[in-house]
Amino acid sequence: MSSAVLVRHNLALLAAEPGAVISRIVMPLAVITVLRPLYTAAIGAQGTAYAVTGALVLFSLLGLSIVGGSLLTERAWHTLDRVRTTPARPIEILVGKAVPLGGVLLAQQAVVLSYGVVVLGMRVARPDLLALAALAWAAALLALGALAAMLVRSHSELGAVNDLGALVLTTLGGAMVPLSLLPAWARAIAPASPGYWAMRAMHAAVTGDTSTTLTSAAVLIGVAATAAALAAWRMSRGWGRSRLL
Amino acid sequence: MLIAYDLRKRYGASAALDGFDLTVAAGEICGLIGHNGAGKSTFVEIVTGLTRPDSGTVTIGGLPPARGRHLVGVAPQEIALYVSVTVERNLRLFGGLAGLRGPRLRTAVADTAAALGLTDVLGRPVGVLSGGQRRRAQAAAAMLHRPPLLLLDEPSTGADPLTRAALLTLVREHAANGAAVVYTTHYLPELAELRATLAVAARGRVIARGGQDELLTGHDTLDGLYRSLAVDHE
Repeated sequence: MSSAVLVRHNLALLAAEPGAVISRIVMPLAVITVLRPLYTAAIGAQGTAYAVTGALVLFSLLGLSIVGGSLLTERAWHTLDRVRTTPARPIEILVGKAVPLGGVLLAQQAVVLSYGVVVLGMRVARPDLLALAALAWAAALLALGALAAMLVRSHSELGAVNDLGALVLTTLGGAMVPLSLLPAWARAIAPASPGYWAMRAMHAAVTGDTSTTLTSAAVLIGVAATAAALAAWRMSRGWGRSRLL
Repeated sequence: MLIAYDLRKRYGASAALDGFDLTVAAGEICGLIGHNGAGKSTFVEIVTGLTRPDSGTVTIGGLPPARGRHLVGVAPQEIALYVSVTVERNLRLFGGLAGLRGPRLRTAVADTAAALGLTDVLGRPVGVLSGGQRRRAQAAAAMLHRPPLLLLDEPSTGADPLTRAALLTLVREHAANGAAVVYTTHYLPELAELRATLAVAARGRVIARGGQDELLTGHDTLDGLYRSLAVDHE
């Protein structure tokens, strides 16, 4: 029940400050339009799918800043501790925060994919698998963003984590440049990046490869479960005297 | 209602609590006083479950803090409200998390806002309120579900006289209805007005406990009391 109360409240918070959300949804469309000719020239007919899924992974990773920033702001406002004094449990607090933000991430992905399909003519063999891949990726992002917000001590630290993390994860994942164009050493360590599994799951869904989509989505859900458990544990411990900077 | 026994909490080399004992009965207002760093806020954090003690026990109505949160209303020292949304949205959130729903929640929000003079600002974002209005909104969020245990950590800091008067009236009413209240402050006149019992904290423990007549005779100020108890600044 606490989660439902918190979901309603967090929706109201998002509605009160919608700027960041709108920009995260609109920006990928411009990037896809610019990158598509480059990708098509580099890898042929698959270029459109790479441009669309790459931009989706890239900008949803930047969406980490919305998740992490939202929770860190609550730490700075002391509202997170205030909510922790209520009967709501840590996992309920995280779910209450994650559901509205997950809705934002899924809306972002739906807009990007619809643009790819309707405007750019991208063909999706298995839309159901693509939806599963998008859900698993959103869950991983939400949990990673929550974990980052529980660990850092300031907005500048969170900014550094988001910037470096998004750059490394998207580059290694093949979201900025197709993996086949990366050096061998980068391809070897790419599976360490959740972005790699997101790209793999989405590409497999676009081409109709059920097995690869499911295994990649399972990895993402494993990342999400691990990060969410760590974030809830960190929240339940509190911060004691190690307050925000 | 509240029993804390031999609480100990260290942060590195510093002992925030060092054998802190305190019992507060239903209907009692306990003024918890002491210099900054005496352990008052750490005690409140432990009772609310925000911090775990290294050792010692706390029970709220017989329950440990983690299971007794529904019995507690807390107004922390820092303002802890969502500044971008309205006062009403904040109150509905904390009332909802305390288990109030539907007409009971609406009535509780309206009644508590009226008691603290917030009715006219219910529709305004917290971010545009004055400091005194924010203090009242914070207190309202702590009290609107009528908790059996009320923890108010320096609730009147920076408040104007009207805010302070409204707050003290509501606290007295809660205690008269059976709530146990822990009220930390540096202002002795407030405790006199509340007819509170006193607990003096120093060096992480309660060093004196009793009625105001017993402890304050011969002292016009807290400093005088602290001097008589040989309490130094931490």
